[in-house]
Amino acid sequence: MSLLNICAKPSRAATWTLSWLLFATGIVMYFYTAQKRHKENPDDRVVPTLSQLASGIYQAAMSQDGDDQPSADAQGQSAFERFRHGMLWTDTVASSRRFFYGLALLFPAVLLGLHMGIFPYFGIFFLRFILFFDKIIALSVLPILFIAFGIDELSKVMLIVIGVTPTIILDTFNLTKGVPPEQLVKGFTLGASDFDVAYRVVLKQIWPRVLNSIRLNLKPLMLFLFAGEMIASTDGLAYRIALLRRHMGMNIIIPYVLWVALLLFLVDLAMRLLNKKLHPWFREA
Amino acid sequence: MVPGSLTESTQALLDPPPREDPFIRLDRIRVSYALKGGERKIVLDGIDLEIHAGEFISVIGQTGCGKSTLLRLVLGSETPTEGRVLVEGREVVRPDRDRGYVPQKYSLFPDKTVVDNITFGLEVEEFNLLTCFTPRYYTRRHEFRAEAMRQLAKMGLHETDATKYPDQLSGGMQQRVAIAQALVMKPKILLMDEAFSALDPGTRAGMQKLIREVWKETGTTVLFVTHNIAEAVRLATRVIVLAKNPAADGSRVALDLSTAEPDISARIEQVTGHIRSDAS
Repeated sequence: MSLLNICAKPSRAATWTLSWLLFATGIVMYFYTAQKRHKENPDDRVVPTLSQLASGIYQAAMSQDGDDQPSADAQGQSAFERFRHGMLWTDTVASSRRFFYGLALLFPAVLLGLHMGIFPYFGIFFLRFILFFDKIIALSVLPILFIAFGIDELSKVMLIVIGVTPTIILDTFNLTKGVPPEQLVKGFTLGASDFDVAYRVVLKQIWPRVLNSIRLNLKPLMLFLFAGEMIASTDGLAYRIALLRRHMGMNIIIPYVLWVALLLFLVDLAMRLLNKKLHPWFREA
Repeated sequence: MVPGSLTESTQALLDPPPREDPFIRLDRIRVSYALKGGERKIVLDGIDLEIHAGEFISVIGQTGCGKSTLLRLVLGSETPTEGRVLVEGREVVRPDRDRGYVPQKYSLFPDKTVVDNITFGLEVEEFNLLTCFTPRYYTRRHEFRAEAMRQLAKMGLHETDATKYPDQLSGGMQQRVAIAQALVMKPKILLMDEAFSALDPGTRAGMQKLIREVWKETGTTVLFVTHNIAEAVRLATRVIVLAKNPAADGSRVALDLSTAEPDISARIEQVTGHIRSDAS
């Protein structure tokens, strides 16, 4: 068996073992390091132990913002109520709201890309500008956004718009251009109008690829959202991470980071499954 | 009846028969493309062609001679550099529902099932983007589907194929669906661009038989582009050969095999020597 054999056909067991090996190694190394550091310094907060992580997760899930421990008032509440008012849930809701606003604003971008690709005058009018706009580093305009839109929600959503929409517009434009001209002609010969061809022929064909493009841009979208929250926000997952950094609260930061990764993974998975369900004809290249 | 006057039928016998206007007319067509350096590549030059309603025309010629360009001119997806293309006396400016189209590739919408591909034309003709969500649409949809199933049966496809997507069909089946999709709109002209080129010989023969039957049944004017000489001769009522311009400037002209001058015919025979023997 050679690892560098192009024609190798890994067995089921080998596939399972190899694909989880790096996860297992990472976990083992983490806890080994944590144990070693705590032997040297029992008050170490940089690499929390499992019990510290567990207490951090409990605190994040059950304590309200500003409480170190669940408050006396909160003690009387049900676990569900405490969780609903806890930091983790309120931060998740705040970040998710901004995330979905940003996601919703990508749909006009898709339509603009479609129109640019299919209506030549639309394309000529917008393309050069969007190509230039795409080269602007979104984070570099953050101060301008805060001055222009204030430090409220709008500036954070605008950051997402500036950061991600040009990519989606250009991607949709290219996907539209990639539809074989025979398909457009076919549409016209079957009596379709220009808008019928745009929406009932082209958009339907490129839609699964557009969803894929949005899916692949979820991480940049979160990146811009986190940048906005870290700099100017009073709630949200990134705000909490930035806040806890000052107190070296690694026992909460690490669960937060893993929670964000899990959420993003779930959104990605949901979009992939939805794409597969809605478009059974679609075969990914 | 006034004495000395003629009945309509007698008058008709005495008058010379009215000259029938061509159904499709290509009038002094020239198509050229700009090349780098300001030069132009001439694809078609001086093409004059008249096609009458109900004809089955095959267009043949060597690869790159402009057969598909000629078809696209009639289709309206390409405009001539000079000259005009007229269908029923009206200049062709863009593709429309009067001209059905069956290309070699991408003949079906990949996102739609077989039945949805066939009903697409019927649906867009009656329902626009806004009205396609009304209750009436869903009622009519049943009728469209019934019509699509009739077309499918005519093309020799099974009911079970109706819910399949194009990539689940063989090449021959895809082209059958594409023909059904075009015919359901009852087009005045059917334009087929190398429609059978990618098929194996057995399927191809079946498709040739099918298109000939469809043409006989519907009387639709067919413009059939192919590089297969035997196929062209076997199917068509008239064969047009795109050959080099006798002026020898590198461009192509359309020569009608049935009416060409004897010397030109001889030259065509040289180029397409085995037409007759293949056809027989």
